[in-house]
Amino acid sequence: MVTVMKILEIIVSPLVALIVGIFFLGLFRKMMARIQWRYGPPLIQPVIDLVRLFNQRGFSHGAVFDLGIILSLAGALVLVLFIPIGGMCPLANSGGLLVILYVMLFAPIGIALSGGEGANPNISIGISRKLILTLSYEVPFIFIILSLMSYYQTISIVEIVKAQAHYHWSLFSPLFLSGVAYFMILPAMLGIRPFDMASAPQEISSGIDVEYGGKYLAFSQIEHALSLFIVIALFVNLFLGGGNLPVFLLKMLAVFVCGVFIHASFPRFRIEQATKYLWFWPTIISFISLIVIQLIR
Amino acid sequence: MLIQSILIIAFGGAFLTYILGKASSALRDFLAVLISVSLTVLIFLAYGKTGEIAFASFMNLPLVLRINHLSWFFAIAIQTVTTLSVIFSLSYMKGKERVDFYYLMMLLCNSAMLGIVLSGDFVSFYIFWEIMSWSAFLLISYNRGGALYAGMKYIVMSIIGSMCMLIGIMSLYSTYGTLNIREIHDLISTASGEYLLFISILFLAAFGVKSALWPIHVWLPPAHSEAPSPFSAVLSSILIKMGIYGFVLILYVISGAALYLGLGGGSFRYILTLLAAITIIIPTFNALMQDDAKRLLAWSSIAQIGYIILGISIGTSLGLIGGLFHFFNHVAFKALLFLAVGAIEYRTGTRDLNSLGGLIKKMPVTFIAVLAGTFGLIGIPLTNGFVSKWLIYKTLILNNHPFLAFAALVGTWGTILYSYKLIHNIFLGQLPENLEHTKPAPASMKLPFIILSVVIVLFGILPGIPLKLINLITASLGFDLLNINIWGIASESGPLNIINIFAAFAVALIVVWFFFLISGKKVVISQDNSYAAGIDVPKGKYHYTVDFYNPMFRMIKPYFRDYMDEFYSQLVKALASLSDRVRRLYCGDLGVYVIYIVLFLSILVISKIGLNLW
Repeated sequence: MVTVMKILEIIVSPLVALIVGIFFLGLFRKMMARIQWRYGPPLIQPVIDLVRLFNQRGFSHGAVFDLGIILSLAGALVLVLFIPIGGMCPLANSGGLLVILYVMLFAPIGIALSGGEGANPNISIGISRKLILTLSYEVPFIFIILSLMSYYQTISIVEIVKAQAHYHWSLFSPLFLSGVAYFMILPAMLGIRPFDMASAPQEISSGIDVEYGGKYLAFSQIEHALSLFIVIALFVNLFLGGGNLPVFLLKMLAVFVCGVFIHASFPRFRIEQATKYLWFWPTIISFISLIVIQLIR
Repeated sequence: MLIQSILIIAFGGAFLTYILGKASSALRDFLAVLISVSLTVLIFLAYGKTGEIAFASFMNLPLVLRINHLSWFFAIAIQTVTTLSVIFSLSYMKGKERVDFYYLMMLLCNSAMLGIVLSGDFVSFYIFWEIMSWSAFLLISYNRGGALYAGMKYIVMSIIGSMCMLIGIMSLYSTYGTLNIREIHDLISTASGEYLLFISILFLAAFGVKSALWPIHVWLPPAHSEAPSPFSAVLSSILIKMGIYGFVLILYVISGAALYLGLGGGSFRYILTLLAAITIIIPTFNALMQDDAKRLLAWSSIAQIGYIILGISIGTSLGLIGGLFHFFNHVAFKALLFLAVGAIEYRTGTRDLNSLGGLIKKMPVTFIAVLAGTFGLIGIPLTNGFVSKWLIYKTLILNNHPFLAFAALVGTWGTILYSYKLIHNIFLGQLPENLEHTKPAPASMKLPFIILSVVIVLFGILPGIPLKLINLITASLGFDLLNINIWGIASESGPLNIINIFAAFAVALIVVWFFFLISGKKVVISQDNSYAAGIDVPKGKYHYTVDFYNPMFRMIKPYFRDYMDEFYSQLVKALASLSDRVRRLYCGDLGVYVIYIVLFLSILVISKIGLNLW
């Protein structure tokens, strides 16, 4: 029975992630349109796009171009299995948050390899910016993760969610500052404005996506949807206490809507400005938080 | 008997190769490979053996050889890398001058390293240590020119280190009357804390120089980049690990964990871990700023040494296992990366990251090698580097060292950036016109690539194979046995289960692949066709590799200069000018010398009369 449940979870959780992620993509466009006083596309527009893209012809530039995109999508799907989604976490016992940190690498590295073989200078610039941005937000992110792990004395994300169910959300605990810092770097992790320099459509023709067409673009879109889901789900799990599936999704929706508002109100940073910002306020706040956790423990 | 025959074959073979090289180069190549392979087989056969044997004596001190799990673990790593490097050298060194000398030094260095890990007393340890240092020096400066300076820097620092070690050895001898490692271990528990600290600092100076611990790392980047590539692989993957062996020897084999943790009231361990953390952070960002592929890898080696020392110096069983496993993994992937860059240099004549690109179509096997190597270096799951880094992180977090863990984790993200730069600037992007006729790497270079890539992936998926042996080593050093299975580690505080990750990945890849195959058609087109819309664009003008991380580079450059190197350079300058002043005493004028003599005599007379000193 346990095995059957496990297998069911392994099948269901990526599906949930996919559906929610693609729904978010649609909602994103609709909300942006309404903020800008347009009518906007229907909510299911991303699905229509995906169906169309899957039926179109796509260009390839070689084996790594194909493999990279497959690797990145597979990496995103695997990552979903490590993240608790409303009580479901099929691979809870396989190394915890540290493994999540590492499996999170697959998607960007796969995309970077694939894009690199595209040999388009716009892609190279996009990847360079993306990697610099990643290094920039990882500094506060690691402080946050370490604060969490030393506060709860575990490296397992399931344990952290459980602990919050017993007491209170991490956001309303001594980890408050970490939560604030996490919220400050959330736009960078999601790649939305003011941190969308890696896929800036006006400067570098969407950067990484520029050589993709047909199913490649479809795969890239799905990967994007999944990473949107993963980053928000991680925040909800680590700071907003997880919860059962409907509550969990509702919390995710709330965070996502905040993200859209941020996206709508800010212009784009240059990459140096982004790095300076991320290495200043979020890093200081998360660093203080880590010291506070060390002191009160 | 086995240990002696290993060393006799190693040393004898080295000189025999040199002599044979005078007669025939083909025979010399064959002999070098034969000796390396047979040594690998011999060491492999010695698995699980333990024993000690006195083979000679030096000034009434018995010279002892011994073998145990720890020695075997290091010996097999040394010999495997040397064998692969020798095979790689077959085509790399073809047509170069002084090849006999090259093979002699390569095999001599290998023999000396085997001698170091197999020696059971400090006299033979020191002798082999010096043979290693000097043969490495001769090989580093093999290319002349800038290499001479690099070699000089290396040997000067190395000598300072070994002088410290010599003082330590003499002090040990005068205190305990023996230099046998096992006997010293039995006697040292009676030593006072201060004496132990003194000895440890002396030895760690020697081992720190050799393993390039910050702030005594400055010899490494020029030495690694100037040496011939096959020897760079040996240097980076095993020669600097002799320092790691020394750390394990002095901290755990001689002192033992309990004494080490109490050293200087715990502050010794604290400083060592701090140095290791700095050794991770600063070199990682320095590697990011390099444009020479081998120099980038050299800085990366220093950073990885930081991980190993961090794991070892934390002083818990899990940390030591992680450190030793990371040592082993670093041997595999750094040898692979240096050899691969050597193959690139061999075929294209350059290792400048700004002038390469697009070689993936020309050198696919080398690309796979570099990919496997960098994945291991980053520690992507399902490569061996992941498991060892996971162990180190977990130790740091569970033992409440969040700031050390921060250094280790940030180092990993820096690693991703420079690894991708390495891959992108060599293999991806556009192919410069002058590289259009590049040939793939020769077969003798591909063989080491394939073997090392397999090692990286195999031990990433089945980490239990090496971990079982490392577990035995740590148990022999007085730690508890951990519960290790073939897929990873089972423990209450968060287990590691590679099979879950592996299975999940296999399924996800198959599913995605399936969708990839059934959905829409793909058309393979040339790289120019899509973004230039078929129009002929000047090649090389649209290649974004020069200054790949320029925005980041501009920001971090002021903070991540190699301050230590500048400091030492200033020191050397000051010493040189001081020596110059001293030299001026010897002006060559006989009259002045007479005045010196008269002055000296008058000082003697005055002190005799006036001060009545004696």
